[in-house]
Amino acid sequence: MNVSSAVVRARGLVRTHGRGPGRVRAVDEVDLEVPQGQTLAVMGPSGCGKSTLLHLLGGLERPTGGEVWMDGRRIDTLSERALARMRRRSVGFVFQAFHLVEELTAAENVELPALLAGRSRRQARRRASLLLERVGLADRARHLPSRLSGGQRQRVAVARALVNDPLVVFADEPTGNLDTAATLDVLRIFEDLRAAGQTLVIVTHDERVAATADRLISMRDGMFVDDTRLAGTGTGTGTGTGTGTGTGWLGGLGGLIGLEG
Amino acid sequence: MGSVVLVVRLVLADLRRHKAQAAMLLLAVTVATATMALGLSLRGVSDALYEQTRAATAGPDVVALSGDTGPAVTAALASLADAPEVIAHHGPYRIVYATLSTRDSISSPVVVQGFAETPGAVNRPLVTSGRWVRSGGTVLERGFATALGVGVGDHVTIAGRSYPVVGIAVTAATSIYPWAAQVGPGGGPSDYSGLAWMTRADARTLASSKDLPVTSALDLKLRDPAAADAFRHAHRASDIRINFHSWQFTAVQDMVILGDSQPILVVGSWLLGFLAITGVAALAAGRAVEQTRRAGLLKAVGAAPGLIAAVLLTEYLALALAGDALGLVIARLTVPAIASPTASRIGDAPGPGGATVATATVLAVAVAVLSTLRPTLRAMRTATVTALSATAHQPRHRPWLTALSALLPTPLLLGLRLTARRPGRAVLQACSTATTVIALVALLTINAQPERGYGLDGSFALPNLRGEHDRRLMLAVTVLLVALAVVNTITFTWTTAMEARANMAVARTLGATPGQISAGLSAAQLLPSLPGAVLGVPLGVGLLSLFAARNAAEAPSASLLGAVLATLVATAALTALPARLAARRPVARILSAEAA
Repeated sequence: MNVSSAVVRARGLVRTHGRGPGRVRAVDEVDLEVPQGQTLAVMGPSGCGKSTLLHLLGGLERPTGGEVWMDGRRIDTLSERALARMRRRSVGFVFQAFHLVEELTAAENVELPALLAGRSRRQARRRASLLLERVGLADRARHLPSRLSGGQRQRVAVARALVNDPLVVFADEPTGNLDTAATLDVLRIFEDLRAAGQTLVIVTHDERVAATADRLISMRDGMFVDDTRLAGTGTGTGTGTGTGTGTGWLGGLGGLIGLEG
Repeated sequence: MGSVVLVVRLVLADLRRHKAQAAMLLLAVTVATATMALGLSLRGVSDALYEQTRAATAGPDVVALSGDTGPAVTAALASLADAPEVIAHHGPYRIVYATLSTRDSISSPVVVQGFAETPGAVNRPLVTSGRWVRSGGTVLERGFATALGVGVGDHVTIAGRSYPVVGIAVTAATSIYPWAAQVGPGGGPSDYSGLAWMTRADARTLASSKDLPVTSALDLKLRDPAAADAFRHAHRASDIRINFHSWQFTAVQDMVILGDSQPILVVGSWLLGFLAITGVAALAAGRAVEQTRRAGLLKAVGAAPGLIAAVLLTEYLALALAGDALGLVIARLTVPAIASPTASRIGDAPGPGGATVATATVLAVAVAVLSTLRPTLRAMRTATVTALSATAHQPRHRPWLTALSALLPTPLLLGLRLTARRPGRAVLQACSTATTVIALVALLTINAQPERGYGLDGSFALPNLRGEHDRRLMLAVTVLLVALAVVNTITFTWTTAMEARANMAVARTLGATPGQISAGLSAAQLLPSLPGAVLGVPLGVGLLSLFAARNAAEAPSASLLGAVLATLVATAALTALPARLAARRPVARILSAEAA
């Protein structure tokens, strides 16, 4: 794989919890490169360190050791403020528990990251409207989260994650709280994103989600135990390779929204 | 009995878990009840000190004062002593108006009373140090001597003559320092004056040597002391103008120096009680979910609504009553210094009376009940299953506020949305700020009042004790109010931060910096503080107008504006620390906890 194309890169990543004899290595000497456009699924049993890995890659937690790079910039040494700016510009998160702001409507939830990024209200509203339409929730834009189903909430969360055109979307068990129909809705969105060249890192228990990925990493006890290319590119351990296509859903959307400038 | 044990156990367990909150309630109630008890005790203590001084000095029931002197006046006064209501008398004696200076060049008007070297049956000043008058020496009234900083053995100069101070004494025949003159020369108004005693011969010599103004007085003991006013009315019709000062009048005059102290303390205690309610209500609201779940658990194991109410209310009531008791003890210990700012009276100050104790206890119970009734009723009324799964307060959607905030910079966007989540708390914060500004307005206004010192020609070589006392009390009440407001502001900020921690964590995952979150939390407190601070000025001026004299000066507008700005800056500074701490909590951990 070409190193320069890696959107996310980790070297010797370690994260420990606790002290003394109770000290646990949640992430243990992990190396990883996620090229642009790749959809990476991380699977493993509960407590194996998947979510911690996601938090470390997204700058939500600081590693105990090792390095994390985002778009060619080392981020584990950044200040909290710089990390926040990085997240605003480069990262979108989707959580199992949705984490929508309950007193804001679907549209207002999606607008929020755009407003935090300093976009005007009109731009934020336009962007939110387009994204909600793309996730099939245009008619639910004025609904509060409490009046949406779980699947609808997660689609709002996906729209929110995409509102600032992130380099990479990190999804932590995005279908963990959803029924089959809602899971399929979300999967369709992820497939569209993958097709559009969006880099995705998905932590999941759900094999249906993993099956949509270009690459599957299995974790156990904080370590990678398997690294599989799913698009017929073979199996290997350690650094993965692969690139996604740059056309499709989001590419077209980017042109429509015109926020890149 | 089992229920009582259960309630006690649950209350103690909860107290152990929430020590800081318990301490806050205890502190708030203590200062509010102590201040109220002090305010309500002043009159009783002042009266009691006067009574004890009167008893110890054989204080007269009536003092008859004439603005003149001479045989006709002496005869008119002496005839009063023959009245059938009179059982004993002292005088007539002369009162000489002079100027006294100390070695430190402190000068003051003084009235010198000429007394026998052996005191009579009425008006026998009690010598508290040194000895009674002797030829060539003077005895100073204790309040006056304390103000001058003079003791036995010092020398003072009266009307140009040097006298050794041979004693210090107190009397109930005159008002406390500096109102010892009672009437001025010719029966006119008098200046602030101290009191000194000399032998009759020395007083006569003093008066004649410098041709000083002299008046006459007669002390009377009546058969029925309660009929002093009737005696006064019965003997008013005389060719010679005589002023009668009954012992009741003198007792009331003792309160003049405390004229502003009572409203400062009583109104201050209302404001402190109000701040206590706002602070504790915010705490109780912050624990509402926990309390509801607790009520659900108790219901699930068969507790009746009465028991649940007892468990939830007992903790606050017990703390409030403990604070009440503590406040009453503090009031008991501090009341002598506050009720007697001069040293003119002797005796022990009694503790707060029954009515005071009852009123302070009502205040304490009101603080506990008003601040916790709503969450308690909610917990009682919520169905068991619903209570067990009680979730955090769900804020209402406020579209226009959300739309408005979208136009603002990120800290204000977050701040306005946080404020909108809890409008009730915003009102409490505004009220808390308004209360602080009311206190500051009162402090500034009191400091703006013109006054004369007690020294010669209004010199501040002898400070105006009444003004100083009022300023000290106002400062103390303001400090207490500000301290409670500080605790409230920190509590409001922390409670807001804890309730909104999930949303703030989400905002951080979306790119909000810790600084923006911190500024947003501060802004959430500052936004309601702004109208509170602005409203506090007219409210403070209005409240003061209820108690101030008609010709009272107003505080300069610049200082009022300064108070508003200082309050807002202080609020911003106070919110910064809890906001900063809350904003720096690990995002991943918060989100994981919320998802669990």
